[in-house]
Amino acid sequence: MDLLEEIIASTLRGATPLLLAALGEVISQRAGVINIGIEGMMLIGAFFGLVASYYAAELIFFAPWIGLFVAGLSGLITAGIFVVFAIKLRGDQVVIGTAITLLALGLTEVLYQRIFGGTGTPHNIPYFQKIDLPLLSQIPFLGNTLFSHNIIVFFTFLLVPCIYYYLYHTQQGLRVRACGEHPKAISTVGSNVSLIRTICILFAGTMAGIGGGYLSLADVPIFTPNMTAGRGFIALAIVIFGKWHPVKACAAALLFGLGFALDARFQAFGWNVQYQWFLMLPFVLCLIVMSGFVGRSEAPLALGKPYDPSE
Amino acid sequence: MQSTFNRWIITSALILSAAFLTNGIVLVLCGYNPIQAYATGITGAFGTAHGLGETLVKSIPFLMTGLSVAIAFRCGIWNIGAEGQFLIGALAATWFGTKAAYLLPNIPWIAIPLCMTIAILGGGIWGAIPGILKITRGVNEVISTIMLNYVALYLVSAMVDGGPLQEISRTGPQSDPIAKWVFLPRIFPSSRIHIGILIAILLAIILTFVLFRTSFGYQIRAVGEGTSAAEASGISITLNTLRVFFISGALAGIGGAIELMALAPQLTTTFSPGYGYTAIAVALLAKLHPLVTIASSLLFGALTMGSYAMQLNIGISNKVTWMMQAIILLFVIGSSSFKLFTKRE
Repeated sequence: MDLLEEIIASTLRGATPLLLAALGEVISQRAGVINIGIEGMMLIGAFFGLVASYYAAELIFFAPWIGLFVAGLSGLITAGIFVVFAIKLRGDQVVIGTAITLLALGLTEVLYQRIFGGTGTPHNIPYFQKIDLPLLSQIPFLGNTLFSHNIIVFFTFLLVPCIYYYLYHTQQGLRVRACGEHPKAISTVGSNVSLIRTICILFAGTMAGIGGGYLSLADVPIFTPNMTAGRGFIALAIVIFGKWHPVKACAAALLFGLGFALDARFQAFGWNVQYQWFLMLPFVLCLIVMSGFVGRSEAPLALGKPYDPSE
Repeated sequence: MQSTFNRWIITSALILSAAFLTNGIVLVLCGYNPIQAYATGITGAFGTAHGLGETLVKSIPFLMTGLSVAIAFRCGIWNIGAEGQFLIGALAATWFGTKAAYLLPNIPWIAIPLCMTIAILGGGIWGAIPGILKITRGVNEVISTIMLNYVALYLVSAMVDGGPLQEISRTGPQSDPIAKWVFLPRIFPSSRIHIGILIAILLAIILTFVLFRTSFGYQIRAVGEGTSAAEASGISITLNTLRVFFISGALAGIGGAIELMALAPQLTTTFSPGYGYTAIAVALLAKLHPLVTIASSLLFGALTMGSYAMQLNIGISNKVTWMMQAIILLFVIGSSSFKLFTKRE
């Protein structure tokens, strides 16, 4: 595999967890809920996904699937906490998101120390290995870059058109978008704003959990404390960069994936540049992108505002 | 005033009881004995003179970052960036203490205020960046401050791990200790309690005065209560927003400088265990009142000190304190009294 193929392939792999979380967040923000807790939900998913695969290790083939299921489920449950405080009690979404992230950092590290002690996670945990798609992976260049990945990568990119279709070409998608723009209007015509938002948050939590599960279960099975290292926050930036649109968000995720891929390559080249500048790059990129390409009033109108049906 | 205060005491007591109970249940689920854990924690934080002193020392960074968050939230600015501003303040102080200080005479009363000033500028400018981005480009400060936290984190790492501020011997990812004459003096010979605590309390008093007794403070609160109403009464939102971004960043920056000048003496890549994020819980529990923030920062100092005791004696990760902070924060949001401050455009 030559260098270009390798960079493209690792761009896709690096973009996958970001895209999973970002697709969930697109739906949630479109419904008017800004969920900065996805960082925590990803971390929770990464931890519990790996733990589930660890305890289910005897089932060999099924173990990573159980892990991924548990990752999504734990993200969903965490999102449930968000729902209670953001929808039921109408608290501030930014603060709740921060609390969720703190909670995840604390809980995963306490349990990590409890279960794995000082030794770290074992290496023999079943995980998602790279599979070569039959025939397709034989195509020169494209085979190596696009069709030779672990299975989650394929599913994630297939989700993009599905979510696009759901948001823009179904009745329900229209309701979701209306919830984020004019909750009062959609409420007057008989939709339940709180219910729609609840479902969207739970979906976002599940997706973030699966994204976290990807980090700990795909290609290398490992969990380290705070292993998401801001990826949930990058997913937030991807949503803004992608103008709350699933296809554009996919493009943005690929851009950040490329950033991660180049990071790793530059470090391997032994260039005389400190590694920290590369780690910083995606965050600086976010700032530049947000201030350059995203105009005012692009966000859903009711984003971040708690909805009170009695008003 | 009296009854408001009483109500705050009762609400806080309820919030804390509920949080301790919930956290206890989580600890049981994790396989620990919460009663033993809490007893160890309380003994560790309050049981000895040493523990009590350390609790005070550990509450200072919470107070400084808590004040930073409180004034920003008062103005309706969702500054999640106290973490980064704290680090930049410490970074600026490190540069001063390891480089510039040697060019100056070794007189503490010249060096210390100068070092603080550099940290104020560092933290303030770091805090003003999201302000400028918000005003000129319409960038949401929640996202930009989070991003800047990571930029600051890696900037500190770049400086002290392989960069120009790394120790001369280049053995570890840390700076050299700052010059002796930049050290903040301690108050008692037998304890680490230092004059940083007096600076922080003084700042809390000044902020209270500014917020509630000056026209600037009135403007801040008016902008926070509702942008359109403030604008209608002729208050410049742009100017006030920018000022508060700077002040908020400067407060966190002073916090970082105090921590470095009094305790650390050198900057490491793990200098802040997330003070800036915890600060949100500190400020909201205090209902964004600078004086009350003193009390809530003491609580978080005690939690931190207690969690160290738990790790040492029972083997629970000291990160249990993050879990506790998060649960307190959630209960603060849950308590209806908090609703008074959630107005924003």
